Amino acid sequence: MAITEKTPLELGPGDTARYVERPLGVFTRPQGGRGWRDWLSTVDHKRIGILYGASAMFFFVVGGVEALLIRLQLAAPEGSVLSADVYNQVYTMHGVTMVFLFIMPLAAAFANYFIPLQIGARDVAFPRLNALSYWIWLSGAIFLNTSWIVGGGGADCGWFCYATNSGVAFSPSHGVDFYAIGLQILGIASLVSSINLIVTCLNMRAPGMTLMRMPVLTWMLLITQFLLLFALPVITVALFLLMFDRLFDAQFFNPDAGADPLLWQHLFWIFGHPEVYIIILPAFGVVSEIIPTFSRKPLFGYEFMVFSGIAIGFMGWGVWAHHMFVSGIGPISVAAFSLSTMFIAVPTGVKVLNWLATMWGGRLRFTVAMKFAVATVAMFTIGGLSGVTHSVAPADTQQTDTYYIVAHFHYVIFGGGVLGLFAGLYFWWPKVWGHFLNERLGNWNFWIMLVGFNLTFGPMHILGLQGMSRRIDTYARGYGFEFWNMAATVGSLLIAVSVVVFMWNVVKSKRDAPHLPPPGPDPWDARSLEWSIPSPVPEHNFDTVPQVHGRDDWWHNKYAENDEGTVVRVATVEEAAQTGEATGVHLPSPSFWPLAVAVGLPLIGYGLIFNLWLALIGALLTIASLYSWAMEPVDDPDATHDHHDDEATEGSSTEGDQP
Amino acid sequence: MRLPARPLGRVSGWLLSLLGAAVATGCASDAELDTFAPQGPIARELHSRGVLPVFWIAAVVLVGITVAMVWLIWRNRVKNYEGDDEWPAQTHGHVPLEVGWTVGFFVTMAAVAGIMLWSLPTVDATETNLMGVTVDDRSVEWEPTVVVVGNQWWWEFRYYFSDQVDLADLRAHGDAKTLPPADIVTSGQMVIPTGEEVELILTSRDVIHSFWIPALNGKRDAVPNRFSPWKIEASDPGFYFGQCTEFCGLSHSRMRMQVVALTPADFQSWVDDTTQDAVEPADPAALAGLEVFSGICTSCHVIEGVNDDVFESADQASGAAPNLTHLASRSTFAGGIFNLYNADGSLNRVQLEAWLRNPGDLKANYTVPGKQYRGMPDLDLSEQQIDDLVAYLAGLGNRPADWIIEATQVE
Amino acid sequence: MSAEPLVADHGHAADEDGHDEHATTTGLSHTKLAMWVFLGSECLLFGGLISTYLLYKTRGNGRTLPTDVFDIPFTSVSSFVLLMSSLTMVLALSAVSRGEDEAGRTWLLATALLGGIFIGGQVYEFTTFVREGVAFTTNPASSAFFTLTGFHGVHVSLGIVMLMSLFVASVKGKLTQRNAETVEIVGLYWHFVDIVWIFIFTVIYLIPAD
Repeated sequence: MAITEKTPLELGPGDTARYVERPLGVFTRPQGGRGWRDWLSTVDHKRIGILYGASAMFFFVVGGVEALLIRLQLAAPEGSVLSADVYNQVYTMHGVTMVFLFIMPLAAAFANYFIPLQIGARDVAFPRLNALSYWIWLSGAIFLNTSWIVGGGGADCGWFCYATNSGVAFSPSHGVDFYAIGLQILGIASLVSSINLIVTCLNMRAPGMTLMRMPVLTWMLLITQFLLLFALPVITVALFLLMFDRLFDAQFFNPDAGADPLLWQHLFWIFGHPEVYIIILPAFGVVSEIIPTFSRKPLFGYEFMVFSGIAIGFMGWGVWAHHMFVSGIGPISVAAFSLSTMFIAVPTGVKVLNWLATMWGGRLRFTVAMKFAVATVAMFTIGGLSGVTHSVAPADTQQTDTYYIVAHFHYVIFGGGVLGLFAGLYFWWPKVWGHFLNERLGNWNFWIMLVGFNLTFGPMHILGLQGMSRRIDTYARGYGFEFWNMAATVGSLLIAVSVVVFMWNVVKSKRDAPHLPPPGPDPWDARSLEWSIPSPVPEHNFDTVPQVHGRDDWWHNKYAENDEGTVVRVATVEEAAQTGEATGVHLPSPSFWPLAVAVGLPLIGYGLIFNLWLALIGALLTIASLYSWAMEPVDDPDATHDHHDDEATEGSSTEGDQP
Repeated sequence: MRLPARPLGRVSGWLLSLLGAAVATGCASDAELDTFAPQGPIARELHSRGVLPVFWIAAVVLVGITVAMVWLIWRNRVKNYEGDDEWPAQTHGHVPLEVGWTVGFFVTMAAVAGIMLWSLPTVDATETNLMGVTVDDRSVEWEPTVVVVGNQWWWEFRYYFSDQVDLADLRAHGDAKTLPPADIVTSGQMVIPTGEEVELILTSRDVIHSFWIPALNGKRDAVPNRFSPWKIEASDPGFYFGQCTEFCGLSHSRMRMQVVALTPADFQSWVDDTTQDAVEPADPAALAGLEVFSGICTSCHVIEGVNDDVFESADQASGAAPNLTHLASRSTFAGGIFNLYNADGSLNRVQLEAWLRNPGDLKANYTVPGKQYRGMPDLDLSEQQIDDLVAYLAGLGNRPADWIIEATQVE
Repeated sequence: MSAEPLVADHGHAADEDGHDEHATTTGLSHTKLAMWVFLGSECLLFGGLISTYLLYKTRGNGRTLPTDVFDIPFTSVSSFVLLMSSLTMVLALSAVSRGEDEAGRTWLLATALLGGIFIGGQVYEFTTFVREGVAFTTNPASSAFFTLTGFHGVHVSLGIVMLMSLFVASVKGKLTQRNAETVEIVGLYWHFVDIVWIFIFTVIYLIPAD
C-alpha cells in the first residue's frame, strides 16, 4: 500500500532510468525537505491539511472582520458605519467567506489530515491531485477577494445571489462576476478533492478496516464528500448560467425575455441545502470522536450514528425548496417540501440522543475539547429545533428572511459547525504539532466564545420574531429592535475576543512547548488509529500498515474487557504504539505542477472579466502545466531521500495485534 | 387606532416569560412589525395554528434534551481526572432504545406535520367574498383584490373595480411592465376595507421583492415574470406596517409599506376621492409647481389629469415611478420611509424639500447618468422650484385622517 | 466542471509494481474508481443543464425557437456517428488488451475521427442555426440549447484529446497490453459522453415542443 499514485504510462517496471529528460526542462524537480519552498510543492496529505487549516483560519479572521462591520453598523438604529452599498458587499462577502473560505476548508483540513490516518493509509489516493485541490482552492479564494481591489467592490447580491438582482442591470460592478467565477474555481477544488477522498476511503483502507469499522469522523467526512460530489455540479450549472448572462448576454435570467428567476433559486438550493450538511456533518464526526474518548466509553449506537448520517445525506437532497416557501412555488410543492424537511429532523435527533447516551454512565473528563464538543451538541440542538419551527411552511411565511432565520442558521453553522471544529482543533492539536494547546487559555477561549456566541445570535431569535428583516443595512427607531441589536453587537465583540485568545493560545503553546513534557502518541487515551503513531505524525504515517480487527482498534490494543465486563489494560501506549522510525517507506515525490495549474485558473477568470487575451494566457498556462504534470513521473528517479525500498513496507502485521 | 404600547413586544414577552428572564429596561417600543401580534383573522389563525403549537413542541424537546444533558454533565463529571484510571461499563448500544427514540422522533415530527397540514389552508386557500363598491356612480360587485407590484424600492398598488383582474389570466398573458390601466394606482400605502379578505396578486418589475405585513399575514415574494397569489385581512380599522423582506438591492432596507384598513364606508369614500383626476390648482405657487412638474417630473411620474394620456414608461430599470395623483392622501412618501405629515398634522416640509433637493442623500439609489436609473435622480432643482413643487404636491389629494397621520409616526 | 485534472491522471494507469489491482480495498484501481465517481458527478451537471433546457424550451420571447430550426435527419446522422464511435472504442480496448497494438491504434484513431465528425456536425449545425435566427442570445430557449449542447461538445472534444494522447503514446510504443486499463478508463468517459448524447438527442430533439 505504499504506492499511492501511479506512474505515467511510459514507464514499465524497472525502467525508470529511461526517464532522464526533465519535463519541459523548466523547473528542477523539487525534493522533499522542510523549508518553506517545500510547502509549495508538497504532496503530503498532512501538510496539505495544515495548509487548508491555516488558510481557513486566515479567512475566518477576514470573514470575522466583515461580521464585526455588520454588527457595528446594526448596533444602533440608522447606523452609518457603512454605506448601503458597502454594507451589501460586506454581508455578501461575509457569507461567502465563512461558507466557502472558512468552514469548508477547515473541514477539508480535517478530512485531508485524518481520513488517511484513521483508515491506516500512508496518503490519499492521488497526492498530487490533493495538492492541486488546495492550490486551486487558494487561488479561488484570493481571486474572490481581489474583487475588493480590482472588481469595483465585492459581490453585493447576498451569498444566495438571487436572480434578477444579480444581473448586470442591478449589480453593475464586477463583484458578481468575481462571485460567479470565483465559486466555480472553488468548486473545481472541492470536486477534485471529493473524488480523491472518496477513492481514498473506498480503496485505501488498511487490511481489516471494513466500512463498518471506520471511525465516525471518517464516515461523516465520506458522506460529506459524496454530497460535494453531487451538489457541486448543480451550482456549477447555475454559476455558468449567471456568468453567461452577465458576460455574454445570455437570457437565462432575463424576465423581459420570458425567463424565470426561480430557476436560479432551484439550482442554487439543490446545491445549497446539501451544502448545509456539507458544513455540519464533519463537525458531527468530530464530536462523535471526542465525546466517546472523554466519556471513556465507546460511541453509543455506532451503526445508528453511521446510518443516520447516511440518511441525512440522502434526505438532504429532497428538502431544498423549503428555502422557497414564500417564492410562490404552489401549495402542493410547499406541503411536500415542508413534510420532507420535518422528517430530516428524525435522523438528526437520533444523533443527538446517541451522543447523550454515550455520556450516560461515562466518566466525563471536561477537557477544552470535550467542552467544545458538548457545547456543539447543545447549541446545535437549539439550531435544529428552531429549524423545526419553520419547517412548518405557514409559520415560515412569518419567519423566513427575518433575523429568526439568521439566528437559526448561525446556531447550526456556528454552534454546530464552528464549535465542533474548534473541539477538533483542541483534540487533535497535539497529534498534529506534538504539543498541547494550553488548557487554561483554552477554557477562556471556550467560555468567552460560548457566551459571546449566545449573546450574538440568541437575541436574533427575538429580533426576527419582532419582525426585523434580514439583509437590511439600517433599521428605523421605534420598532423595538434597539436593545437586542446592541446586545448582539456586544456578543460579536466577545466572539472576536475569544478568537484572539485562541490565536494567542496557538502562539503561547508553541512557545511553551519545549518546557513541557511531550504529549506522546496517545495523550487522551483515545480510540482510533491516528493515536497509535507518534505525535507529530511522521511523514510516512505508519511504520507498518496496521491490521485492523475491529472498531476502535487502537483502544483494543491497549485494553480488553474481562468476563465481568471490566476493562483491563493489556498494553501501555508505549508498548502498543508505533515508533515512527521506519525507513525505506516509499513516498510520492513532491511536484510544482499542481501550483502552476492553480495559478492559471484565476488568470482565466480575470481574462473573462477584463480581457479575453488574459484568459488565453491563463488557459495556456493551465494546459501546459497539466501536460507537464502528465509527463512527470510520480516518483522522481533522482530523489535523494532514502525512501526507496518498497518491500520493507509490505508486511501487514503489527506488533499491537489484539489479544 | 394606534396599537396599545407594549413594553417589549409580544415576542420578547413570550420568550422572556418562558425563559424566566426579565431584561426589559430601556427598550420600550410599539414593535409594529411584531410577528406575535396578529391583527386579523388570517394572521391570528396562522399564529395559533401554525406558529404556537410547534414552538411549544420545540420548547418541550429543547428543555428535555437540555435537562438531560445538564444532568449527565453534573452526574458523570470527573472533576480531577489526572491519574483517574477507572473505566465505566462499556456499553456499545441498545437496539430497542435506538428504535424507540427513532420512533419517538418520528411520531413527534408526524405531529408537527399534522400541524403544518392543518395550518396550511389558513394562508393558502382563498374565499369568494364580493363587496359592493361604487365607482364613478356605478355599483360594482368587487372581489377585493389588489395587484401589488414591487419596484426598486417602492410598492405599487393597483385596484381594478371595473375590469376585474384574474390571476389565471395575468399568469397567461400578464406583463408587470404593461399592466392594464387600473381605476386606482397608488404606492407606499395600501388601503383595504376591514372585515374583508383581500386577495393580493404579487409581481415585480425588476428584482424579487417580498410583501410582508406581519400583523395581517406572513410574506410572499413578488417575482418578476410571475404572478403569485396572497391574501391579507384586517379585523379593525388600523395602520399596519410592513417591510420588504427579500433582498432587493441597494435600498432594500428602505423599502417599506403600510396597510391602512378602513371601515367599508370609509373605504368607499377613499375610493370616491382617489378615482378622481387631479384638479388644476388655484394657488399661484402651486401653479408654478405644476409647471415645474410638467417640465421635469413627468418623464417618470404620472399624475392623472396631467400626463396619464401621454405617459409611456419611466426612465427607470423598472419602467415605473410612483403615481402621484393623490400623493397628499398618503401619510408617507419615498417608499414608505418618510412621514409626509408631522405629528401635529402639518406637512413634513423639511424632509419633502430635502428629498427634492437630492433624493440620493436620503435614500441610497443608483442614478449614474447614461445607465438605467434605479431610484430618483438628483434633478438639480432651484430652491424656488422646490418651494413651488412642494406647494403643488401638498395639494394633490385630501389629507388623510388624523389617526392615520398619528399612526405613521413610528417614533 | 473541469475534467482536466483527471485527464492529466489518465497517463498514470500503469502501475509500477504491477500489483496495485490487488492492493486496493475494492479491487478497482484508484484511477478507474475515480473515473466512476467523477462520472457520477457529471450526471448531475448534465441533469442541471437538461432541466434548464426543458424549462425554457418554449420560451422564445417572440423569436425563433431552437425547436423550429432543428434538422432531425442531419442530427440523426451525426448522432449515429457518435454512437458508432462507442463501438470503435470497445474494439480499441479489446485490441489493446489483446496486445494488438496496430489494431488498437486504428480503432483509437477511428474513434477520435468519428468524434471529430460529430463535432464538425455540431459546428455546422450551430452556424446554420445562427443564420436561421437562433443565436446564443436570442431567447432563453436558445441560450439553454447552446449551453447544453455546447457543454456536451466540449466534453466530446476533451475525449478526442484523450484519445489522441493515447494514439500518440501507442505510436511511441508506450501504450501496451499492460496499460490497457488506461484505454478502458478513457473508454468509460467516452461511453458516458455518448450515453448523455443519446439522452439529449431523445429529450431535446425528438420530443417536440408543444
